[in-house]
Amino acid sequence: MTSFDIVNYSLRPSKEIQRQIAFDGIRMLKSRLEMTDMIYVGLGSIWFADFVWAHKSLDIRHMVSIEKDDIGYSRACFNRPYATVQVRHGHSSEVLAKLHDDDYYNARPWVVWLDYDGGLSEVATNDVRAIIENSPANTILLITFRGREGTYGRTDQRSRRLRALLGDVVPDDLPKEHYKGDRMQETLADLATDFMKAVGAESARPGGFVPAFRMIYRDTMDMVTVGGIVPAAGDVTRAKSVISDENWRCCPLGRIVAPLLTIREAFTLLSLLPRDDQLTREQVRAAGFDLKEEQIEAFERYYREYPMFAQIVA
Amino acid sequence: MVATNRGDKVDASPTKAFFVNMITRDITLEDTILDLIDNSVDAAWHSEGGRAMELADAVDLSAYRISISVSPERFSIRDNCGGMTLDDAVDHAFSFGRRASQELEEYSIGVYGIGMKRAVFRLGTDIRIRSTYTKPDGAREAFAVTIVVDEWLQNDDPPWDFDIDDDHDLDADGVEIVVESLNEGTEVSFGNPAFVRNLRRMIARDYTLHLNRGLQIAINDAAVEELPIALRRSDEIAPVRVKYKDQAGEVMVEIIGGMAAPPPESIDPDDAEDGDKRFGWYVACNGRIVLAADKTNVSGWGTSNWPRWHPQYSGFVGIVLFTAANAAYLPLTTTKRSVDASSGVLLRARRRMRDIAKEWIAYTNARKQALEEAKRKEEAAKAVPIQQVEMRRSLALPKLTPVQAEPVANVNYAVSVSRMKRLAAELGNVNMSYRDVGLKSFDYMYDELIEES
Repeated sequence: MTSFDIVNYSLRPSKEIQRQIAFDGIRMLKSRLEMTDMIYVGLGSIWFADFVWAHKSLDIRHMVSIEKDDIGYSRACFNRPYATVQVRHGHSSEVLAKLHDDDYYNARPWVVWLDYDGGLSEVATNDVRAIIENSPANTILLITFRGREGTYGRTDQRSRRLRALLGDVVPDDLPKEHYKGDRMQETLADLATDFMKAVGAESARPGGFVPAFRMIYRDTMDMVTVGGIVPAAGDVTRAKSVISDENWRCCPLGRIVAPLLTIREAFTLLSLLPRDDQLTREQVRAAGFDLKEEQIEAFERYYREYPMFAQIVA
Repeated sequence: MVATNRGDKVDASPTKAFFVNMITRDITLEDTILDLIDNSVDAAWHSEGGRAMELADAVDLSAYRISISVSPERFSIRDNCGGMTLDDAVDHAFSFGRRASQELEEYSIGVYGIGMKRAVFRLGTDIRIRSTYTKPDGAREAFAVTIVVDEWLQNDDPPWDFDIDDDHDLDADGVEIVVESLNEGTEVSFGNPAFVRNLRRMIARDYTLHLNRGLQIAINDAAVEELPIALRRSDEIAPVRVKYKDQAGEVMVEIIGGMAAPPPESIDPDDAEDGDKRFGWYVACNGRIVLAADKTNVSGWGTSNWPRWHPQYSGFVGIVLFTAANAAYLPLTTTKRSVDASSGVLLRARRRMRDIAKEWIAYTNARKQALEEAKRKEEAAKAVPIQQVEMRRSLALPKLTPVQAEPVANVNYAVSVSRMKRLAAELGNVNMSYRDVGLKSFDYMYDELIEES
């Protein structure tokens, strides 16, 4: 079952927050590296939320969505949000190979965001390798995958499973605790990033691979987003300066866990922000309702990106 | 090389740039680092009396520590192994073309002469080497050598030797080498997490005999753990261990071999585990593993009267230890990453290695006719570190009684990896071999659909 049959994408505030943060970051890289005429490549499903952001936030016109499912392809074609979104039917490896062989696509940088339904897999690592090895200079790559520990077998099986997926970057002696609980997502993020760096180095790309994105978030389950840029050799220093800047928000510490709020609650909290001191639970109670401290803290940290959804009653 | 006619003579003097290019072109980055570790290990071994390294001795190296730091910006190695003397520095490490023989003595494997220069030139262009040591009269002495390669290359006139300056003492007697302005390939490799982790694995494997004696090696502050070599032993299974002298007594040879793990039930490459990489022959010269898990004709597989390696032979591990006071007698290549296949001591050892391997091959053939009995007996054997293996002239392996097997049907089909992995996970082990997933699936359906009468 594909993910659009399981959940309505628009009801995942943490995912929406990480998406906005990522697109802010991509916009900063685009501006500093003076990238123009970019291509967006993603797994748009039937919702195309990232495609809408790519168009609105980055002004990207040419976009390609990859859909392997037959019915999904039909629905994606029906739901594509802009005329310039192409839906390509096939497995990601096939479609990416065709794009890499196309002079039009090779003449401009890509933003590729592969948001997988499941965990890190052979398909995902093959896609990552293909993109880092073959995509045009200054391509930005993000992948999102499931971080739930059980996705990678039982505790004593996870090290070997990750070794099969990510190869030599997986240490032989990582303690078992790194493959359990909340540490599992940290481990996945670190090792997937190391894998990307290793592919960049081993493929001898002149600019290598520069990590830029590392976000762990949770709506109904733990998800991991990692990525970076394969800069042109002459752009490495500028890319690194953007990413090391204090305004770079794409590698937050801890995980993004946005509270599920009603529209009324969210607007009430917004009316109390921003502020110089920290919003307290007492102040929330005084406003008429109650939340846990960590929910208040999370909202305050990400209130600018917090999505405001309203149900439309026909 | 400059070759200019000056009357009746040809000037064949090499340029420095040519020299640097020649000595660094054929060595890998990993080998340069291992060269520097060899120097430190030799110093530690020298500090312990420079005896022959045999498995059975009780030399304790736990007082010695080698710390390596690698990053895209900088490389450093620092040890407390006793230091390089000023004489060594003048005569070998920082001079050109003088006295090459002495450096091969005292059961060493490193060679300050070419090894250190080759290593630092390979790594980068801003180099600083410091050494502190204690002289026989008890006084400490320290010196430093700074090499800025770009400046050094500017003048080809002899002498080429580097300046040796006075220096303040290091905390402990030892050597410290720092290289900055790393060469492009070095910088890329040091920024590659896979390179750094593989370097750690390589050091763990190649210095396992030293680590077993307590030597401490750390990379980026994390200790390297030894990769012990162990062979199975039981009432019916026992490794071979023989020892003899060769080359008129100059070389001590010790050969140990046997079952490190049961042979595989499947030789399907899709089912190959990492473990396959550890099987084959190992060769150690003065304690340093120079050939690891070899399955090629270098160690003898596929040479006369010796079959090529086949995955069926997995499970076998053999190690040959060559020890000599003078490293010139060892079957070493200059990179110390392989053995000289034409060396007499190696060729003579290979005859014994072949006989051991053939015993193993015969066993892996025989066990196919008595698989259950073989598995039961192999399971009963326990792993023993090679240091504890007893002397024994031949390999002991279970005597098996062939069982007439029912005719079998081989099944071969293809499914997507993602579906296979999901099913493996559902069956309880995401890493289960494809073969086992197939068998369990078959058994499940068989039980579901077939009623045994």
